[in-house]
Amino acid sequence: MRRTLTLGLAGLLLLLVIGVVVVSNRSSGGGKVVVVRGVIGSEKKPFFDDPRVKAAFRKAGFDVQVDTAGSRQIATSVDLSKYDFAFPAGTPQAQKIKSDHKAKTVYVPFSTPMAIASFEPIVKILATAGVAKDEGGWYSFDMAKFLALVAADTRWSDLAGSADYPSNKQVLITSTDVTTSNSAGMYASIASYVLNGNNVVASSAQAQAVAPVVAPLFGRQGYTEQSSEAPFDDYLSIGAGKTPIVMIYESQFVARAVAKDGSIVPGMVLMYPTPTIVSKHSLVPLTDNGDKVGQLLMTDPTLQNLAVQFGFRTADPAAFAKVVKDAGIATAPSLIDVVEPPTNDNLEALIDAISESMKSTSVNTSTSVNSTTVNT
Amino acid sequence: MTRGGRRLCVLFVAALVAAGCTTGSDSGGSGGTYADGASTLNILAGSELKDMVPILDDARAATGVKVNLTYVGSLDGAERIAEGTTADAGWFGSDRYIGLAGASTKVLAREKIALSPVVLGVRADVAKQLGWSSGKASWKDIVAAAGSGKLPFAMTNPTVSNSGFSALVSVASALAGGDALSASTIDADGLKQFLSGQQLTAGSSGFLVDAFVAAQDRLAAMVNYESVLVSLNDSGRLKQPLVLVYPTEGIVTADYPLMLLNADKRDAYTKLTQYLARADVQAKLQQLTARRAVTAGVKPDPRLSSSLLVEASFPANIEVTRLLLDQYQTNLRRPANTVYVLDTSGSMGAPGRLDALQTAMKGLAGADNSLSGVFTRFSPRENVTVVSFSSDVNDVKHWKITSTDPNSPELLDLRGYIDGLTAAGNTAMYSALDRGYDEALAAAGADPTAVTSIVLMTDGENNSGLSSSDFVDRMKNRPTTEQDIRIFTIRFGEADPGALQQIADITGGKVFDGRSGSLGAVFKEIRGYQ
Repeated sequence: MRRTLTLGLAGLLLLLVIGVVVVSNRSSGGGKVVVVRGVIGSEKKPFFDDPRVKAAFRKAGFDVQVDTAGSRQIATSVDLSKYDFAFPAGTPQAQKIKSDHKAKTVYVPFSTPMAIASFEPIVKILATAGVAKDEGGWYSFDMAKFLALVAADTRWSDLAGSADYPSNKQVLITSTDVTTSNSAGMYASIASYVLNGNNVVASSAQAQAVAPVVAPLFGRQGYTEQSSEAPFDDYLSIGAGKTPIVMIYESQFVARAVAKDGSIVPGMVLMYPTPTIVSKHSLVPLTDNGDKVGQLLMTDPTLQNLAVQFGFRTADPAAFAKVVKDAGIATAPSLIDVVEPPTNDNLEALIDAISESMKSTSVNTSTSVNSTTVNT
Repeated sequence: MTRGGRRLCVLFVAALVAAGCTTGSDSGGSGGTYADGASTLNILAGSELKDMVPILDDARAATGVKVNLTYVGSLDGAERIAEGTTADAGWFGSDRYIGLAGASTKVLAREKIALSPVVLGVRADVAKQLGWSSGKASWKDIVAAAGSGKLPFAMTNPTVSNSGFSALVSVASALAGGDALSASTIDADGLKQFLSGQQLTAGSSGFLVDAFVAAQDRLAAMVNYESVLVSLNDSGRLKQPLVLVYPTEGIVTADYPLMLLNADKRDAYTKLTQYLARADVQAKLQQLTARRAVTAGVKPDPRLSSSLLVEASFPANIEVTRLLLDQYQTNLRRPANTVYVLDTSGSMGAPGRLDALQTAMKGLAGADNSLSGVFTRFSPRENVTVVSFSSDVNDVKHWKITSTDPNSPELLDLRGYIDGLTAAGNTAMYSALDRGYDEALAAAGADPTAVTSIVLMTDGENNSGLSSSDFVDRMKNRPTTEQDIRIFTIRFGEADPGALQQIADITGGKVFDGRSGSLGAVFKEIRGYQ
């Protein structure tokens, strides 16, 4: 133990020395490089890891280091005291963090709409069913009609033309875990808007009313993953067998197409739910340095341009249009049918109600199984 | 460590300000050394990942990250992670057992490395008879064939091995109408019908392959990873190729997540996972292991089916999965006759030995309440026989297990009996084993549907009673049984490894080493084969 401790101290001293060397090496521009720490939604990790992004921050004197967490966790359970900024994927969480930590502002340097990735044969089946509609390469996805299919417990094999997708599984959108992940929260928000008579859920009572109908969208999926990257990875690598239709951020799809890494292949299609929600990536500064990072992301032309390369929409629609055109994919040029997510409190109420509704279903079933166990 | 490697390690510390080269010493002995700590990853890995070693050697050359793999079963590994292992990472076919063991929060990062669906390999002649030569059949077809005796198959024990587990979940979901399983939709009758065909079980998919090869004339099929089945077809070990059947309702795909456990090793972990994700590395991995590339854009391997593979929905919560496994063990699997031949000779009186044996046996008899303890406990529909021996057979006792309750009268009695064992006398190993075989034959005769097996635990060389050649001669003259009765031997103390190997080989069993680590862990491991 003592040996470990001694070595630990020695290591610490060594690190201090190295730290000095690193700083002096890096300060070729004259100023010091300041380490700034942020906690971000996992969907922005590739952006922050990119050497060009790191270089742009370094040029401005910052070494930005990030940890990832679910956006809902960032707003609730993550200890933010060790961070200079929080960067969840949505406005509701950002507003909560802002008021909890008395932050002076929220920066929204880029945004991306919720989209649904799928495959041509499946989109064709959905088009025949009246859910998907060709808008010129990209498709709109009629959420109300889809919810009706789910309510009727529709299977792929029930739909016309399903010979191209011979699966007896229920027609469901693959999503993440609604209790932890922002993208699933946005999916729930979209569905709840439709079910609430095309109104944003604006009270706990409204949340309670729609929850039993929203819950099966998640509960029937079975196991769901925690992070937004996971189901999209399954879409890219396993494909239609696991994820025929998957709720994603548009940026995930665009970034892959821009990178031309071979993952987006002909036959992969983007659909946009009607209505959709634009996920506004919102940086909440917790320190002065965090504030500077927020300003840089808003104003630095290199960072703004790189954000577009990663599939995000910025204040410059022409830049985004050019990037998707060069990448050879079809996206919605402008989004018309966009609604707001509920406020953070109402979104929390909605997720809690959905979660309760899913639990009560499983409690009922496990009660009945206990008796099965006894009988058999 | 090579010179290049050391330089990389130093560079890495300079660049990263990570705890770096001085970590890995928190394990109180084992684990990384100070010299190569930061760039070495000690990984708890499933034994099937042995075939990744050439790729990992490449990775070391390219990244400076050295990997030490310690092979453990999926459940064992998950429990070690739950208890706080000193390993830096875990790497298994799936992370489902990690969830079952309540260890998800120990996983700091997780990257899928490769894919392989769990499917059914059917002997070509049987596939033809059943009309499955195209590789298309439903789980319902498979259940019916298994239930009618036309499809004796090999599958690992789902409570300890991921391939068996994945298949069980797929079948259960298919029988539940193709939806994610819930507690109320577990079709016990259908699953029993399916599992009546499970004529060979094992604790690991590797052993299963060898045992299947040995019994390929009698067995018609094997549940395993697509990669294992494809490699076996390429190996030249089979008289007839296996037709890979991808059940239409849905299958479960192993995604081999590499899971970071030690925050200080994040940099080495990132380097390794980024290397493994490279398209050229994934192409090589696919060629070498017949697992599917996880990085999109890698050209598919022509040996692997390109048709649509519907993925079964996985149960939403861990309780349902747990219930399914409990049901498997207590109600759904074939019943078992389990004979323990236990050495109580004088040498077992050496410090710790008899204690270790008693603790191990009592663990199986209800005293171990860990997850693996519950999964490996003697189950309802199991007949347990203990033959204790020293200079001769001392005692033969039987217990019929009727309940999962650890304090049932029979388990209480069994534990009491084990407590009463004392060490004295010589070692009549072969006489006792011969008697154990008599008991096993009688039990198998009474219930031909049961899995009958023998465990021999000894700490010394035979010096009383029948000789080795007597025993072998008597085995040759034994009647053939409908099903193999395997003998699993446990090497302990000064036991003769050659003799134990010979005994295991005669019956298609396996030798386990009880000298290092806990004897209890070995007794539990063997439960996967019973």
